Order: sequence, then structure tokens, then C-alpha cells
Amino acid sequence: MARYESLLDALGGTPLVGLPRLSPSEDVRLWAKLEDRNPTGSIKDRPALAMIEAAERDGRLRRGSTILEPTSGNTGISLAMAAKLKGYGLVCVMPENTSAERKQLLQAYGARIVYSPAAGGSNEAVRRAKELAKTNPDWVMLYQYGNPANADSHYYGTGPELLKDLPTLTHFVGGLGTTGTLVGVGRYLHEHKPDVQIIAAEPRYGELVYGLRNLDEGFVPELYDPDVLSGRYSVGAYDALRRTRELLEHEGIFAGISTGAVLHAALGVAEKAMARGSSADIAFVVADAGWKYLSTGAYSGSLDEAAERLDGQLWA
Amino acid sequence: MAVTVSIPTILRTHTGGEKSVEASGKTVAEVIDDIESRHSGLKARLVKDEKLHRFVNVYVNDEDVRFAGGLDAEVSDGDTVTILPAVAGGAR
Repeated sequence: MARYESLLDALGGTPLVGLPRLSPSEDVRLWAKLEDRNPTGSIKDRPALAMIEAAERDGRLRRGSTILEPTSGNTGISLAMAAKLKGYGLVCVMPENTSAERKQLLQAYGARIVYSPAAGGSNEAVRRAKELAKTNPDWVMLYQYGNPANADSHYYGTGPELLKDLPTLTHFVGGLGTTGTLVGVGRYLHEHKPDVQIIAAEPRYGELVYGLRNLDEGFVPELYDPDVLSGRYSVGAYDALRRTRELLEHEGIFAGISTGAVLHAALGVAEKAMARGSSADIAFVVADAGWKYLSTGAYSGSLDEAAERLDGQLWA
Repeated sequence: MAVTVSIPTILRTHTGGEKSVEASGKTVAEVIDDIESRHSGLKARLVKDEKLHRFVNVYVNDEDVRFAGGLDAEVSDGDTVTILPAVAGGAR
């Protein structure tokens, strides 16, 4: 059905498209789930709406409430749209080293942005948001890193959609951030396809993001469940950019930079399947499209230049 | 077995400021022991109770060793071992 009562109802049901040119053979195939085809253009619409609805059911959120959330962009944009339609205020705690487009979109939707320092990246945003939650007890922090509704939105949505569209699926590759996508999709797929492999692609940032962090105060999202995963790749900006451009060049898909990191891991998985001589249907997530990253220069100039420009930025 | 080990900023006090060091060993544990023999103190920051510290991630050629045997994960000549603190994700 292509008619919906409102934008919020148009969530999910995203297309899964084959990648005939990037797939290494007819037996080892790659499939991209186009999550940019969600109401605000990213996979984050799923957890954002699910967390809001769960908080409404619990009575934590009422008309006029203010939502507080640490986000480096997409979750904030999703929450901002839903908050506007549902009559909530929104305060986003966001690292200052994110793309200009994300800030502009959040502002356009009327969200208030509290910046956290670039050094430390999202960990620092989480820390600041937790502080703000203490000093503003009437604000409602949905907290995507620990909210079960985040993973549930993928358990009940993304996962079943994937299996319905690709019953022969053998591998799922997703980005590792809050871990909600991997944990939710992973749990669903494990229940229905016990042999499925769940692979995480984690962005590897520049020095600045890791710089001053104390190892004893590291951060693992509360949602994270390593038992769901079969493997985990760390992908730097250069490879992420290279794959983002390949996806556009060979398959026509204009994706965001984190998708390049995920594709890099998916191609690694494909290569291993080829080496083993086994067949594979590898599905991965296109978390968002490239529009929000144009100002970073990701799509122009040499790869080395583009990677250098991204150094110190949160690109996923 | 020579491998290159990339050291995060926070641990460079142990390597005299070096961003990466050469080391040898057939497993991640052996590589860490080898570095420890020249840069004392590093091991205690990475390993706790014979396991990798919860907030430390180690990758061999970009693959997380926790899914490849942890400290027993194999390394081969020419591999790159990357040590990183755990971070929260970006746009998620």
C-alpha cells in the first residue's frame, strides 16, 4: 500500500535491492536495504518512533513534555519530526563535530541543540545528556543506547522485513552504534534462521574522537549483546568513503558515509564466502542517503583528500 | 612474525609517544607480551584476569579479535593490530 494517513504511518516497509555489479558471483550476492526511504530519511525513524510510543504507553511522555536525547544526528532528526507532530519539545545533545546539514535539519524542525565537545565524540554527548537529565528531572530522556524499544523496533520491523524479502539470507551486516539494529535484527534472525551470521561494521574515527578518553571510563551501550554477533569489523574513513563512492558508481545508490563502512564489511564477508566456495545472500543496511554529508566533501576530490577532511569528524 | 601494532593516544605514554610499534608473536597475547617486554605497563592497561579489558577493542586487520578467539586470536607476518578504546557509535 502506498497511501498513508500521516507521515508517521509511512515508517518501514523499505525496499531490499540486489547489487548485481558489486556482488562477486551469482552464488554470493549482496542486497541493500534502503532505510533512507523512511519518513525523515534514515533508519533512525524506527527506534525513534518506537521509543516515543513506548514512553507514551508508560505515561512518561505527555503532551507538552520535553524529550532529551544524546545523538550525533539521525536519531535527533527522527525525534524532532515526531516531536513536532506529537506536540513535544526536544533537546538534543550533539557532538560539535557533526555535519552542518544535521544541525540545520534539527534547527529546521525546531529542536534545541546542546553541543558537546568534539573530543570524545558520542561518548561525551551521552555523558552530557546524563548530566542534563539529572539537573532537569522533568525532561524525558529516551536514551537510545539503553532503551529496549530501540532494539525491539528492529526485532519487530527490520528483521521480519528482511527475512520476508530474502528467505535465503545467510548474513546480515549493519552499523554498530547504539547496537540496536544489530541486536534487534540479530535476535529475530537467530530465532528463525539459526545459522545466520550477524556482522557488525564499526566506524573507526580519527585521533580526536578517541583522544583523551580514559580506558577505565569507556563506553559499551547497555543494549549491546555480543552473543548476537558473529564478527565485527572496524572500518576507517578512507575505506568507508571508497565503498560509498563504489556504491554510487556501480549500483547508482547515493548513500551516507556509514553505509560505505557497512558495505566494506559486507564485501569482506563476501570475499570469505568466495574463498570457501560457499554460496551466500548477504543483506546490509543503507542507514541513510548522502544528502546530509555533501558539505563534508565526501563525494568530490580524491579519496585521500576526502578522508583527510573527515578526520576528527563523526561521519557515521 | 613481525606485526605492526597501532597504539591509541591514551596509551602512548607507555610507548614513549610512538603511534605504532613493531612486535612479534603468533597470537594477540604473545604480541602484547612482546610489547610489554619493551614498554612496561602496557599489558596491565589492556588485559585484566587473562581477558581483554571490557573497554578495550583489539583488531587484527580490522577484525575484532573477540570473535576470533580473543587473546588467543592468531596473527600472521605483516598483519596490522589496532588497539582502540570502546566508543559509542556515531549517527545511531
